Amino acid sequence: MASQPGNGTPTSAAPTAGSPQQLNQIVMEYLSKKGYSRTEAMLRVESAHTDADGRPIITRPEDYPEVKYERAYQHLRRWIDNSLDIYKPDLKRLEYPVFIYFYLYMIQNGHLGAAKTFWKNHIAEHEAVHAYDLQELSRLSHPSHVEENHLAKLYIENKYRVKMPNTTRNLLLHFLEETAEEGGQTMLDILNQRFELTSLPGRASLFDRAAEGQEGEGIQGHPFGRADLADNAPPVKLGVLPMDKDMVKEVEEELRDEDSRLRELTRSDELGIAAASSLADEFQKIKREESEDSPMRESIPLPPYTVADIHEEVKRVKEYREMMKIGGGPSTALPSVCMYTFHNTNDGLHCIDFSQDAELTAGGFAESYVRVWSLKGTPLVSIISSENQPTAPKSRRLIGHSGPVYGVSFSPDRKYLLSCSEDKSTRLWSMDTYTALVVYKGHDAPLWDVAFGPFGHYFATASHDHTARLWSSDHIYPLRIFAGHLSDVEKVTWHPNSAYLFTGSTDKTARMWDINTGNSVRLFSGHTAPVTTIAASPDGKYFATAGEDSLINIWDIAAGKRLKTMRGHGKTSIYSLSFSQEGNVLVSGGADMTVRCWDVLHGTGAQTADVPEPISGAVPGLSGPSEPTAKVDGAGSTSKRKGKDVVATPDQLAVWYTKKSPVYKVQFTRKNVVLAGSAFLPSQPTV
Amino acid sequence: MSLWNSDTIKDVSESVGIISLNDDVAKNLAMDVEYRVHQVLQEALKFMRHSKRTVLSTTDISHALRVLNVEPLYGYDSLRPLRYGEASVGPAQPIYYVEDEEVDFEKLINAPLPKVPREVTFTAHWLAIEGVQPAIPQNPTQAEAARLSEGTPKGSNATSSVAATVGNNDGTAIKPLVKHVVSKELQLYYERVCSAIMDEGNDTLRSAALSSLRHDPGLHQLLPYFLQFVAEKVTQGLRDMFVLQQMMDLTHALLENETLFVEPYVAVIVPSILTCLIGKRLGDPTTFDHYTLRDYAASLIGLLCKRFGESSHTLRPRLTRACLKHFLDPSKPLGTHYGAITGLASIGGREAVRVLILPNLKLYERMIRPELEEDTPKKRDAQMVVEAIFTALKQLEDDDNVHVKHENGNGMADEQQREALARKIGDIATDRVWRSGRRGLVKAILDAKAGGPRVAE
Repeated sequence: MASQPGNGTPTSAAPTAGSPQQLNQIVMEYLSKKGYSRTEAMLRVESAHTDADGRPIITRPEDYPEVKYERAYQHLRRWIDNSLDIYKPDLKRLEYPVFIYFYLYMIQNGHLGAAKTFWKNHIAEHEAVHAYDLQELSRLSHPSHVEENHLAKLYIENKYRVKMPNTTRNLLLHFLEETAEEGGQTMLDILNQRFELTSLPGRASLFDRAAEGQEGEGIQGHPFGRADLADNAPPVKLGVLPMDKDMVKEVEEELRDEDSRLRELTRSDELGIAAASSLADEFQKIKREESEDSPMRESIPLPPYTVADIHEEVKRVKEYREMMKIGGGPSTALPSVCMYTFHNTNDGLHCIDFSQDAELTAGGFAESYVRVWSLKGTPLVSIISSENQPTAPKSRRLIGHSGPVYGVSFSPDRKYLLSCSEDKSTRLWSMDTYTALVVYKGHDAPLWDVAFGPFGHYFATASHDHTARLWSSDHIYPLRIFAGHLSDVEKVTWHPNSAYLFTGSTDKTARMWDINTGNSVRLFSGHTAPVTTIAASPDGKYFATAGEDSLINIWDIAAGKRLKTMRGHGKTSIYSLSFSQEGNVLVSGGADMTVRCWDVLHGTGAQTADVPEPISGAVPGLSGPSEPTAKVDGAGSTSKRKGKDVVATPDQLAVWYTKKSPVYKVQFTRKNVVLAGSAFLPSQPTV
Repeated sequence: MSLWNSDTIKDVSESVGIISLNDDVAKNLAMDVEYRVHQVLQEALKFMRHSKRTVLSTTDISHALRVLNVEPLYGYDSLRPLRYGEASVGPAQPIYYVEDEEVDFEKLINAPLPKVPREVTFTAHWLAIEGVQPAIPQNPTQAEAARLSEGTPKGSNATSSVAATVGNNDGTAIKPLVKHVVSKELQLYYERVCSAIMDEGNDTLRSAALSSLRHDPGLHQLLPYFLQFVAEKVTQGLRDMFVLQQMMDLTHALLENETLFVEPYVAVIVPSILTCLIGKRLGDPTTFDHYTLRDYAASLIGLLCKRFGESSHTLRPRLTRACLKHFLDPSKPLGTHYGAITGLASIGGREAVRVLILPNLKLYERMIRPELEEDTPKKRDAQMVVEAIFTALKQLEDDDNVHVKHENGNGMADEQQREALARKIGDIATDRVWRSGRRGLVKAILDAKAGGPRVAE
C-alpha cells in the first residue's frame, strides 16, 4: 500500500526508546556531535515528511482514500474512452477488476464510506456482465467481512489474469507512468500487486476478443477464469460403454425367438404384413459395441447381468423400433408432450421423476415424504401381501425422511427409487415392496439432487456442502467425493456411458468428472447466474446447461467449448432439460409455465449449417406474437442481458403454454415422447 | 451508510441490559447485522429455489439458519402468510411488527380437527401432439397463450388480478397488471354495492346502488371486479330470475356510466348477456317472465353493438353468428329461439331481419307448426316466438312507410298479396302479419325479397 490513512490519532505520549521519532533525535544528536552537519541537514529534510509514528504525512488532498481511488479509476476510464477503437475492447476488460480491487482495498482499510460511494458511482458500468459477483460483494460492510467472504478472498488471494496484445499493454504502462501524478501511480501499484498481465502475440485488432480472449482470464478457478482446465483439458472417452459379450449373444438369441414368434403370428393371421424389420436387425443398430472412443468396461465394474437385464434389453430394442423419429432442421417433426399436472400440492411438491418405461412417477414433498403413482392408474401391488390390504392403492407414500425431499430418481429398471433430502441422507426404496431399503449418509449438508447411473447400481448425489459424491447402492459410504465447486452443487447427471458425471453449481459453472479418478476433467463456465439444471445428450457428445439467468447453453463436451446460447424462457428459472433420443432436439420446462423445444444443432455449424432459416414461425398458430421477430444471435457470442423484454433466439422450435402450472420436469422416453410434470397453482383472488 | 440503523442495535442492547453502548460499536454491529442478514437470505434463497417456489417462505429461513448453524426462530409457520401490523411512533415513522396472537390452549385442544386436505393427484393431457398444441380445455387458449408470452411471468405465485384475465376483443391483450391495488374505500364500496344489489327485500337501497353505479365517477378500478361478479352470479344463478335481472341491471348501469371506459372489457360482458338472451332454461320454466329478461338482454346487446360495433369489427358478426346458430338449431328450446330472434333483430336491425330471419322463416315454420296446433304447454312458448318474429318483421316496415301510402291503391289484389306472402314467409307468420292489418308491412316484406344474400335453406 502506498499510503496509510491519517485517521489514527498520533500518540502524544512521551516517545519511548524504540519509537522512530526518538531514534531520529538520537541520530541527529549524534551527527551534530560528530560535526556531520550536511548529513544532519539531509536527515532533517527527509524525516520531516513522516509523522510521529514514522508514517508518511499526507500532504496532498488527493492522497486521501476518498479521493485517491475515485480519481485513479476516473483517470483510467477517461483514457480508455478516449483511446482508439482498436484498443478499447482489451482495455475495457481492465475496468472491472480495477473497480473490484479498489473497492476491496477501501473496505479492507476501513474506508467504508468511501467504498460505498465509489461502489454506487460505478456499479452500473459492470452490472450487465458481473451482476452476480457484484451482488455478493456489495454485502461487504466491514473489514472483517473481506477475510470471511469466500468471493472477496478469492480476489484478494489470487492474481487477476488479463491477456492483451503487446502493443496495447505497452501503451497502457506508458500512459500510467507518464501520468503517475494524476492517479497513474495508484493504477500502477495495483497492476503490479494484483494483476498478471500476459502478452498476446500480434497487434490489437477490431475483432472482438470477448469470446476466445477471455479464456484464461480472471481469477483462477473462478468463473470468468477457466484456463486451469480449458488449456490442457485431458482427453475424454465419450463412446458408449460396450455391452457384455455374453449378454449380447443371449439378447440376440432372445430377439431371434421373438422374431420367429412374430412371424408365426403374422402368418397365422394371414395378414401378409411382414414386420417392418426384424428385432434382431434393430438390435444391430443400437448394439453398444466397443469403439476406440469407449471407456474400458473393466473400469466401471457392474454386477453380472441377469435374466431381467436381458428382458430389459429386449424391451429397449422393441421400444427403439416404435420410436418416433424427431428430425432437426426446419422441416422437423416435433415431439409430442404428455403433461402430467399435479393438483392439490399447495406448493409442497419439490421434484418429480418418471421411470424410463413411463410406468411410474414419483414426487418429493416438503412434508418429508415421497409419493409414488402409477402413470396408468393401475394399483401398485406390493409383493408383501399384507401390504395390499384391503386393496392395493393407486399411489403409495414412502415415509422415512425427516426433511423436505429435494430429489428423486428411478433406477433404469425401475425396481428402485432414490430420494434425497434436507436431512442430509439419501434413501433407497424398493418398488416391489414400497418400503425403505437403505439409508446412505455421508454428506454434511442438505442434498439437492440425486441421480441413478444409466446402468443402475451406481448413483450420484449433489449437496449444499459444495461436493458431489458417487455411491454404489451396495455400499453405505461414498466411493468418490468430487470436490472442486466453489459453492453448492445444484444438480447432478450422468454421461450416458456411465464413465463420467456432470454437475451444475451455484458458482455459475458446470463440471465434468471422471468417476474413475475422481478428477474434474472439464469446466463449463459461461453462465452469469447459478446453474440450475443440466442434461447430457444420449450420444454423449453434447451437454446442455440452464441457469438462473434463463439461458440455455449447449456445449461440445470433447472440446469443452460453448457452442451456443439459447434464450427464450422469460426471466425465470428453468427447472428441467431433456435431449431427444437422437440428440438433436432439446426440451426445457421452467417456472414461466411453458415447455419449450429447441433445435440443438441450429447455428452451431454442425450438420444443419446449410439451413439457417428461422424456424420459430414454422409451427403455425403456436408461436406467440413476439417470436417471429426473433433476433438472430450469433453463435457463441456472449449474451448479455440487454433490454427489458426477452426475445427468443431463432433456434426455438416451439413453445407450449400450460395453465398456471410451472413445469418441474421434462423427460424424453425411449420412444421419444416427452413426459412433463407440473404442479397446478391456482392464484388467489385479490378482492 | 448501512441499511441497518444503529439505533436498532442500541434498542436491542438496552433490552438485554447494556445501557450505554458506544456509538462506534453500535455502528460496527449494525454493519455486521446487515451482512449476516444477507448471508441468511442467500442461503434461504437456495432453499426456495430447490423447492421450486418463487416466493420466500418462513421455512426457507429456518432451513437456512439450520445450515448456518444458528438456532432457528421458533413460532413462525408457513401455513398462512405472515400478518404484519403497523404502528406509528411519530409522523411518517411507521413501525412494522408481526402480529402475535394469543392462543387459548383450552380452545385449541377442544377445537375440532381441521379438514383433511385433499389428496395430491395428477391428471394427464397432451400438451402437444407432434408439436401442435391441441385445443382442449386443459391447454390455454391462443389468446391466453399470447398474453402469457407478452409479459414475462413473474412466477407461479405472483398474484394475478382479474384485470389480467380479461382480454380485449380486438385480440390485443391487455398487459397483465402485476399488482392491482384497490384502496380500502373502494373495496368497501364494492362489497356494499354487491350486497345491496343482491338484497331482494330492499328496493330503495338497490336502486340507490344502481344509480350510484350509473353516475359516480372514479369506479374504473372496480370495473373488472364488477364484471367478474356479474359473470359469476350469472353462471351460478341460472335458475334464479331475480339474480339474473339484477345482473342485467348492474351491467346496464355500468354501460351507462360515462366515466367508465368499458371498451376493453366488452369480451367479458358479452357472455353473461348472451346467457341471459339465449340460455336454455332461465329462471322458473313454468312462468313466462324469462321472456322479459330475454327482451332486456336483447336490448343490452343492441346497446353494446351500437356503442362498440364501430371500434371492434368482429363484435357484430360474432354476436350475429351466435344468435343465428341458436335460431336455426331445432334441438334448442323455444325460449332460446325467442331470444335468438329478438337478439338478431336488435343486433343487426333491418338488415339482419331481411337477410337472416326472413329467408329462414318458411323453414322455421315447419318446426313450430306442431307446437302451435297441439294444445301442449309449449303452445304459449310457440306463440311468444311468433310474436317475436312479428316484432322483428315490423322493423322492415318503418322506413318504407312513406312509400306505402301512395302505392296502396295499385298493385295486386289482397288475396294475391296474401298468397305471395305465405309463399315467402309461411302461413303462420303470414297469419300474424295479416291480422295486424298493416299493409305497409306486407309490402315491405314482399319487397325485401329482392336482393340480399340468402342463407341456404
